[in-house]
Amino acid sequence: MAGFPILSLVTFLPVLGMIIIMFLKKEQALTIKYTTLLITGIQLVVAVVMLLNFNYNAQGVFQQSSFQFIEKFRWIQVPGVSWLGTVKIDYFLGVDGISMPMILLTAIVSFIATLSSWNIEKSIKGYFALFLLLDTGMMGVFVSLDFFLFYIFWELMLLPMYFLIGIWGGPRKEYAAIKFFIYTLFGSVFMLLVMIGLYFSAFETLADGTKVHTFNLLAMMDPSNFSANGILSPFNPSNLRFIAYIALFVGFAIKIPMFPFHTWLPDAHVEAPTPISVILAGVLLKMGTYGILRISYPIFPDITKQLMWWIALFGMINILYGAFVALAQKDFKKLIAYSSVSHMGYVLLGMASLTTAGISGAVFQMFNHGTITAMLFLIVGVIYDRAHTRGLDEFGGLAVQMPIYAGFVTVAFFAAIGLPSMSGFVSEALVFVGSFSVEGIRVLSILSSLGILLGAGYMLWTLQRVYLGKLNEKWANLKDLDVREYLMFVPLSIIVIFLGVYPSGMLNIMTTSVNTLVNLVNNGFAKVLF
Amino acid sequence: MDVSNIIESLKLIKPEIAVSASLILVLIFDLIFHKDKKLIPYVALLGLFATGYFVIHQFGTTGFGFATKSTFKAFGMVTVDSFGTFFKLLILISAVLVLFFSSFSDEIKKTTDRLGEYYVLIFGMILGMFLMVSATDFLLIYLSMELLSLSSYVLAGFTKLRDRNSEASLKYVIYGSVSSGLMLFGISIIYGLTGSTNLYVINSLIQSPQINVLALSFALILVMAGMGFKISAAPFHFWTPDVYEGSPITITAFLSVASKAAGFGLLIRFIKTGFAAMTLNNGYWMLNPIFDWKLIIVILAILTMTLGNFSALWQNNLKRMLAYSSIAHAGYLLLGLAVFSNQGIAAILIYFFVYMLMNLGAFLIVMLIADKLGSEDVDDYDGLGYTSPFLGISLAVFLVSLTGLPPTAGFIGKLYIFSALIDAKMFVVAVIGVLNSVVSLYYYIRVLKHMYLVKPKIQPVEIIPGLSQKFLVLLLVVPVLFFGIYFSPIVELAKNCVVLLGF
Amino acid sequence: MLQVGLTHFLVIGAILFSLGIYGIITRKNAVMVLMGVELILNAANINFVAFSRYGNFGLNGQIAALFVIVLAAAEAAIALAIVLNIYKTYSNVNVDEISNLKE
Repeated sequence: MAGFPILSLVTFLPVLGMIIIMFLKKEQALTIKYTTLLITGIQLVVAVVMLLNFNYNAQGVFQQSSFQFIEKFRWIQVPGVSWLGTVKIDYFLGVDGISMPMILLTAIVSFIATLSSWNIEKSIKGYFALFLLLDTGMMGVFVSLDFFLFYIFWELMLLPMYFLIGIWGGPRKEYAAIKFFIYTLFGSVFMLLVMIGLYFSAFETLADGTKVHTFNLLAMMDPSNFSANGILSPFNPSNLRFIAYIALFVGFAIKIPMFPFHTWLPDAHVEAPTPISVILAGVLLKMGTYGILRISYPIFPDITKQLMWWIALFGMINILYGAFVALAQKDFKKLIAYSSVSHMGYVLLGMASLTTAGISGAVFQMFNHGTITAMLFLIVGVIYDRAHTRGLDEFGGLAVQMPIYAGFVTVAFFAAIGLPSMSGFVSEALVFVGSFSVEGIRVLSILSSLGILLGAGYMLWTLQRVYLGKLNEKWANLKDLDVREYLMFVPLSIIVIFLGVYPSGMLNIMTTSVNTLVNLVNNGFAKVLF
Repeated sequence: MDVSNIIESLKLIKPEIAVSASLILVLIFDLIFHKDKKLIPYVALLGLFATGYFVIHQFGTTGFGFATKSTFKAFGMVTVDSFGTFFKLLILISAVLVLFFSSFSDEIKKTTDRLGEYYVLIFGMILGMFLMVSATDFLLIYLSMELLSLSSYVLAGFTKLRDRNSEASLKYVIYGSVSSGLMLFGISIIYGLTGSTNLYVINSLIQSPQINVLALSFALILVMAGMGFKISAAPFHFWTPDVYEGSPITITAFLSVASKAAGFGLLIRFIKTGFAAMTLNNGYWMLNPIFDWKLIIVILAILTMTLGNFSALWQNNLKRMLAYSSIAHAGYLLLGLAVFSNQGIAAILIYFFVYMLMNLGAFLIVMLIADKLGSEDVDDYDGLGYTSPFLGISLAVFLVSLTGLPPTAGFIGKLYIFSALIDAKMFVVAVIGVLNSVVSLYYYIRVLKHMYLVKPKIQPVEIIPGLSQKFLVLLLVVPVLFFGIYFSPIVELAKNCVVLLGF
Repeated sequence: MLQVGLTHFLVIGAILFSLGIYGIITRKNAVMVLMGVELILNAANINFVAFSRYGNFGLNGQIAALFVIVLAAAEAAIALAIVLNIYKTYSNVNVDEISNLKE
C-alpha cells in the first residue's frame, strides 16, 4: 500500500464525480444518479480497504511517524525576507484511530444518502454535483493534519450545504439555509483567527534546519515548537491562550451543536430534504466533536484540563435540554433533530471525562449516532414520502400496514434508546463509565443519566403514537418498503446490531490512539511524557 | 535643475509618457477618422499594451525624478519603486479589462458618436492615477488627483442616457471639489509649517520639535479628507453609492478598482514617506510620534467597513450594493495599513490584486445581465441561476470570493490582512474585522438566494453570453479559483513589491 | 503705520476658507456651492503666496498658486458644464432636489 495516495483518492473521488456530472446532460437523470452511486460506492470500498490495511497499534494523535497512509507534499512555498518569514503550507493527510471511524462513517452515510436521494426530482444535475462536493469537504476535514487544509475543507462544505438546504428544502428553506450558513461562518471566523494565532506562535524545523512558522497540527502539539513570546505559546503567561481556546471551542460547538448555539439545527433539519438531513446529522455534527478531539485537546491540553468541568456541564445541558424539548415535539423530524442534540451531549460528556473509557465512548458514540440517526431520518423520510406529513399525532398503527418498515423502525428506536445488544448501548455505557469514574464530574454524570430515561420516554412514546395502536384509515393504502429502501436500511441495521454485539470491532480501531490522546492531555503535553 | 537631470528623470516616467502619447494618439485618431469610430478601441488597446510594456520594464527600477535642486537629488517630485509599479500594473490591468467591458456594454454602444472622448478621458484617468501612485511632492499629488477627478467627473455622467447619469456626475463633482479644496488648504498650511511641498523634506523637518502640532494635525486631517474621498473611506464616502449607481457600469467598475487603488497607493506612500522615521528590521515602521496615525487609521477602518457592510444589507440595486461593498473592502484594506508594517502593505497588495479580479468580475456579470434585463434590481435576478447557468455560477464565484470564503482568492486576501493584524497583536480590531465579514455574507448570499432559491414570478429571460464575453468572464473566474488554491505567485509578487523608497 | 505681515494674510486666508465652508454648507444652489469651493481654493492660494513671500521658502509656493489657479479654472469649466447638463434634465440646479438615486 505504501506510496499509494489512498487518502487523496478517498477525498477527491467525489470531485471527479462532480466533474463527470458537469459534463452530463440535464436529461440523463438516471446516469447522473448511477454515477453518484458508483462514486460513493467506490469511496466506501476504498474506505473498507483502508480499514483492512489499518494498523491497530499505531498511536497517531501527535506523532507523525505513527500516522497511517500519510501524504505530505509542499503546497505553498514562498521564500522569506527579513520581515516576512518563509511561507510554507503542506498538503498533509494522515489517519489514526480517531479519524478512521469517521472516514468509515462518512463513506457509509454518503452511500446511503445517495440511495436516499433517488426521489429528488428538481435539477438533479445540480443536486448531485453539490452533494459530491459536500462529500469531499466532509472527507477532507477528517483526513487533513494541516490546520490550513482543515480550514479549507471545513469552509468548503458550507456553500454546497447552503444550496442543498436552500434549493431542495421545505417551505422555510431560505431561512433555514441562511441561518445555518451564518451560524457556521460565525464560528469559523473565530477558528480562522485562532489558526493564524497558532501559526505565528508555532515553528516547524525543516529538513535543512531552518525554523519556519507552520500550520502543521502535529507541530503545534509539541511545546518545544513554540517560541517563548509567541502569542499562543504555552510559555506565554498572558491569558490569550485561554481566550483562543474558548474561541476555537465556540467554532466547533456551533457545529456540534452545543447549547446555546444549537438553534440552527432544528430549522436546518426540518427544512432539509431527507438525504441532506441524513448527512447533516450523520456526518456534519461529528465534525465539531472531531475538531475538538483533533485540535483543541492535543494543542491546548493545559486549558482543556482547566475547563473539563464546563465541557461536561454543557454536555449534560445538551443531553437533558435536547431530551426535554424532544418530548414536546409534534413534528417527527423535529423530534429526531432534538434527539440529535441530546445524543451529541453524550459525546461531550464522554470527552470531558478525559479517560480512555470516556473518550472511546465519545468517538464510538459519534460513529453510532451517525448510523442510528441516519436511520431515524430515513425512517421519517419514508413516511414523509408516502404521507407528505410528519405530524406525530396524525399516524397510528403503521406497524400493521407496513410490518417490515416497522421492524427497521424498532431496531433504530431501540438502538437510539440504548438497548443492550445495540451499538448505542455500548457507547453510552462507556461514556458513563468514563465520566462517573472522574470525581469532578460525577454529579454531572449522574444527572445526565436521566437523559437515558427521557430518551426512552420520547422514543417509546413516538413508537406508540405512530406505529402501534389502531390504524388510521387515512393511511390504509401506504406501501411497505421497496428494494431501494431495503438497501438503505439493511446495511445500517446490520452495523447497528453487529457493533452492539461485537463492539470491539470498532473499539479496537481507536483504543491505541485514544489512549495516546488521554495520556497527552492528562500529562499536559506529549513531550513531557515521551 | 539642469538638462541632464531632466533627461535622467524622463527615463523614469516612461509609462506616463506612453499614457500621454496614447491619449494624444486617440484624440488625433478620433479627429481624423471621426466618421468611423470602430477602430478607436483598438488604438486605445494598443496604447495600453505599449504602456504595459514600459510598466513591466520598470519593475526593479528605482529612482527619484524631477528633483527641485540638482544637488539635492534624492528628493524628487516623482519616486519610482516597485511599490508604485505594482499599482501601475494593477491600474493597467483593470484598464484593459474595462476597455473590453466597454466594447460589450450597451450603455457605451449607445454613445458611439462620442467614443473618442470616452477613451481620451479614460487615458486621462490612467495618467492621473499613474502619477498619484508615484508622487512624492504635494504639488504633484494635488495635480494628479485633480487630473483623475476631472476626468472621472465627466465620465460619471458621460452617457447622459438617464437622469441618474447627470445626477451622479453632479454629486461627484460637488463632493470631489469640496474635498480636494479642503486638501489643498491643508497642503498650504503644511507648506507654511515646513517650507516645502516635498514629502521627504517634510519628513526630515517635522522631526524637529518646534513644529506647531495643533496646526499640523489640523492640516493633516484636511489632507486625509482629500485622500479619504478617493478611497471612499467613511466619513468621506457619501458620494460613493450615488456615483457608483448612477455612472455607466464600466466606469463604476473602473472607479471601484483603479481609482481606489491609486488612492491607496497615494495614501500609503504619503504616510510612509512623510512620517516614517525608519523601517525596523522586522518590517514594522517607526512612525513619527507627532501625529497618531495608528488611531486615526484604525478608527477610519472600523467605521468604513462597519458602515459599508451594514448599509449594504438593505440595498436592492446590485450596483449600489456593490458600491457599499466596495466601501467595506476599503475598510479591510485600511486595516492592513493600520498595522504600519511591511506585512500590512504586503497584505494590502495581495488583497488589491484579488479584489481587482473579483470586483471587476462581479461588475462584468452585473453589466451583462443589466444589458439584457435592463435592470440591476436584485428582485429581477429571481431564477436567473437556472436560465443562465454560466453567468449564475460565475457571479456566485465572485460573490463568494468577495465574502472571503475558501477556496477562492478572496479568502487569501482576508487571510493576509488578518494575519498582519494578529502578528501586530491587534486582536480586537481583527475580531471586529472578521465579524464584519460575517455580516457581509448576508448581502452577498442574498444575490445567490434570488438567483437560485427564490421562485421567479415571471419566467426569467435566458441570457446567453457571446463567446468573447464568456472568454472574458472565464479570464476572471479562473484566476479567482486558481489563486484561492495556489497563491504562491501573488504572495511572491506582493512581497517583492513592498519596497517603498523612503526612510 | 501698520506693517502688513504674514499674520494678516493668514487671517484673510482663514476668513475666506471659513466663508467657503459656510457657503458650501448653507447654499442649495449648485453654482453657489461651487463658488464656495472657489473661495477655499483661493484661501489656499493666499496662504501659499504669503508663506512663500514671508517664509523665505523660495518660489515654490507661488508656483503652486499658479498651478492651482489654472486647475481651478479647469474644474470650474467642468463643474459648470455638469451643472448645465443638470439644468437641462431637471430644469433646476438645486442640490437638494436632485435625488433620484435613493438611499
